[in-house]
Amino acid sequence: MSYYLGLLQLIGVHTLLGLSAYVLMLTGQLSLGQAGFFAIGAYSAGILTVIFELPILPALLAGALIAAFFAFLVGFPALRVKGLMLVVATIAFSEFVRLFFFNLSWRVPRGDIHVGPDSTNGFREIRYFVANGWSAWEITTFVWIFVILVMAALWWMDRSRAGAVLRAVGEDELAAQSAGINLTAVKVTAMTAGGFIAGIGGALYAHTATYVDHLTFTVLLATFAISYPILGGLSSVFGTLVAVIFIQGVLVEGLRFLGDWRNIVFGLLIIAAMNLKPSGLFDARTTLLLRRSVGLGGRE
Amino acid sequence: MLELRGLSKHFGGVKALDGLDLSVREGEIFGLIGPNGSGKSTAINLICGVYAESAGTVRFSGQVMNGKAPHERLRAGIARTFQNIRLFPNLTVWQNLWVAQNSPRDVAAQGFLSRWFGATRRTRRELAELLELADLGHKGDELASNLAFGEQRRLEFARAAAARPRLLLLDEPAAGMSRQEIEDLGGRIRGLRDSGVTILLVEHVMELVMGVTEQIAVLNFGKKIAFGTPGEVQRNEAVQEAYLGTSASDSGAAGEGA
Amino acid sequence: MGDFWFEFVEITQTIGDGLFFGATYSLIGIGFTLIFGAMHKLNMTYAAASLAGAYVGLAAFTFVNAPALVVFLISALASGLIGLVVYVACFRFIPVNNHLAALMASIGALFFIDEIVVHTTDGSPLTFPAMFEYVMLEVGPWGLRGDLLFVLAVSVASTVGLLYVLYRSRLGLATRAVSQQDVAARLCGIDVHRTNATTFVLAGLLGGVAGAMTAAAVGVLSPLVTVPLTVKGLIVTVIGGLGSIPGAIVAGLLVGGLENVFLYFRGVNERDMYVLLLLFVFLVFRPHGIFGSAIDRD
Repeated sequence: MSYYLGLLQLIGVHTLLGLSAYVLMLTGQLSLGQAGFFAIGAYSAGILTVIFELPILPALLAGALIAAFFAFLVGFPALRVKGLMLVVATIAFSEFVRLFFFNLSWRVPRGDIHVGPDSTNGFREIRYFVANGWSAWEITTFVWIFVILVMAALWWMDRSRAGAVLRAVGEDELAAQSAGINLTAVKVTAMTAGGFIAGIGGALYAHTATYVDHLTFTVLLATFAISYPILGGLSSVFGTLVAVIFIQGVLVEGLRFLGDWRNIVFGLLIIAAMNLKPSGLFDARTTLLLRRSVGLGGRE
Repeated sequence: MLELRGLSKHFGGVKALDGLDLSVREGEIFGLIGPNGSGKSTAINLICGVYAESAGTVRFSGQVMNGKAPHERLRAGIARTFQNIRLFPNLTVWQNLWVAQNSPRDVAAQGFLSRWFGATRRTRRELAELLELADLGHKGDELASNLAFGEQRRLEFARAAAARPRLLLLDEPAAGMSRQEIEDLGGRIRGLRDSGVTILLVEHVMELVMGVTEQIAVLNFGKKIAFGTPGEVQRNEAVQEAYLGTSASDSGAAGEGA
Repeated sequence: MGDFWFEFVEITQTIGDGLFFGATYSLIGIGFTLIFGAMHKLNMTYAAASLAGAYVGLAAFTFVNAPALVVFLISALASGLIGLVVYVACFRFIPVNNHLAALMASIGALFFIDEIVVHTTDGSPLTFPAMFEYVMLEVGPWGLRGDLLFVLAVSVASTVGLLYVLYRSRLGLATRAVSQQDVAARLCGIDVHRTNATTFVLAGLLGGVAGAMTAAAVGVLSPLVTVPLTVKGLIVTVIGGLGSIPGAIVAGLLVGGLENVFLYFRGVNERDMYVLLLLFVFLVFRPHGIFGSAIDRD
């Protein structure tokens, strides 16, 4: 049972990661920096509960805010470049963050041991949940409360004028600008919101896993982050959720029998998916077909 | 209302626009014509801030606009349409208008939350009126990309109007339209002017230009070669030469960017 | 004075070594830039394919004890072949204007190649043969490492070869035509797919040489190098200006030189962080790179 709860927690955390990329992709920005924001959230919240012994809620909020702050900072230089250049800039950011935590050593004595990030050895002892006697059920519920909150907020935002403005920027920057939209403000806001969401995800991840190190936050994780909205399409937040369940739940778990070889299959699947359905697996047309086939109707 | 002084734009060694002086009076429909490549679109892009000028000034109701971003100029009251329609194709017709509500009045009238996350009754009513006016009343929930060509033109026109501009720049709005549609467009332009919007019309289709404008400036090779009422301009020799001299290549290049 | 002199020699020696080694970054940067120039797309697989080529070369050395020159040749050919496969798998059939899908597909290929390497080598670093005896030329107080000199020589030779192909052959003419005006090139009867494929093979050949040289200069081949080399290649490409070959050359040397300065002052663990910061400095102050045009590109 606890195995499936663990999987459920992972799906929740990855949904947040995917949603953080989703917000940015609405504005037409493709960022491989989400792994970096995720890492900042994870380490910051971890440091706050372990070294400063804060309760989980303020630590999580602070972690998300710190990640959002860095996203805000990255937003400005990153705005000067578009498209593929932005991809390069954000990969560089993620790598920078990873190397920063690779070098970060901040050990404090706690009883007869030392705790805190230990550079190459990683950051163990993020044991807030265990120390406070949370059950696996409670942890899973806690994670999903945040997933649902963020999804609801984004879903609501999507239907408001704010959502339309984000999408307008993603569709045609020049037309958006000419219609009076402040591109800088919109893009930096999206970047910051993305950083905040990734930060929540990272903070939750660190505490459910109890251990993180720099190898957790590689380009592979950043690729996962953008794969979800790309596969799920940008028509709604649920596409991202479906894609996470599909990749983490069905593919990664379903391919468990392949053992170590499944990462190879993952690479091949991305290539195949992009060749067969370059605009996403669950694009508008496919969603419509799926809905019809299960008898949900759906608008023409 | 709009004053251009010595406005120039150089792309490398090419002088797309070379010292243009122009003044458009409030409440007038002003035509800007010229053969392809004469600098008309460049002028529009300079006025609304898409390009940075190489020299000269753009002054709008007394304010110098140089260095201001397109969205700032829109808030000052300059809106535009594009030569090759640029809607937000995957937004609905309604959303296309909604995102363009950026006039200072709209910003001031709404609180932050209602502006970004809600839609006040007044917003809804005003957008519905705009839709009616564009004859798109029943298509509010349609995706913009699903509209017919003529409807897309009308939507873009309405989107520009949604920003409550005081000056509207129309970049070849009649391109690709039928005679009937052009007539309809002429009516819309006059209607908008009558509601108090000054209009700068860049156009190739002479029947529209001659039909609706009060003053016309003619550009050739980035320079103004004539200025006057439609009648005066038509009789002007330099203008006839500019058009006749390029008419052969003109017809061949029609539809390409100017 | 003596201390100062000593330190000066140390630092210039370090920068010099870095410049020489930077020649490999130049090659990787040229590969990225070549493909970007041709298709306006990023081939994220490129550095991984280059290293995979070097692995094939290493296999040739290990199993049949091939001589140095042959190892390089095999590395280049293998990497060129991988380049062709990557083109077909990730670019050929994806719509031209869909940059996102091509990017994702090539990231997929990056993981695929990386994982294959990890599996065949059990993830552990392999020793790459030193291609020749350790030689040290002395120039005044400075030493010139023979292997680095060789790296520089091979880099220069392959760059010259590439420029020759690009600017003196019909094939290069087609490549340049496609990169500048793809529609016009099509109208002139140039087969765009074939030209693009050729560009991938050319870039691959270059990458194979770079991969083998990196391995030879460092002495080991490890899958851990893939991502850092990819990132550095991208940085070199951006700093040089996307699509600019001279830019990639200069930027490669710059990154190589500065990298060693960072290494000298801050140690190996922090070195790459500063290289990444260098990219951000460029993005803020000179986003179009050293030789890039100021035109916005997607």
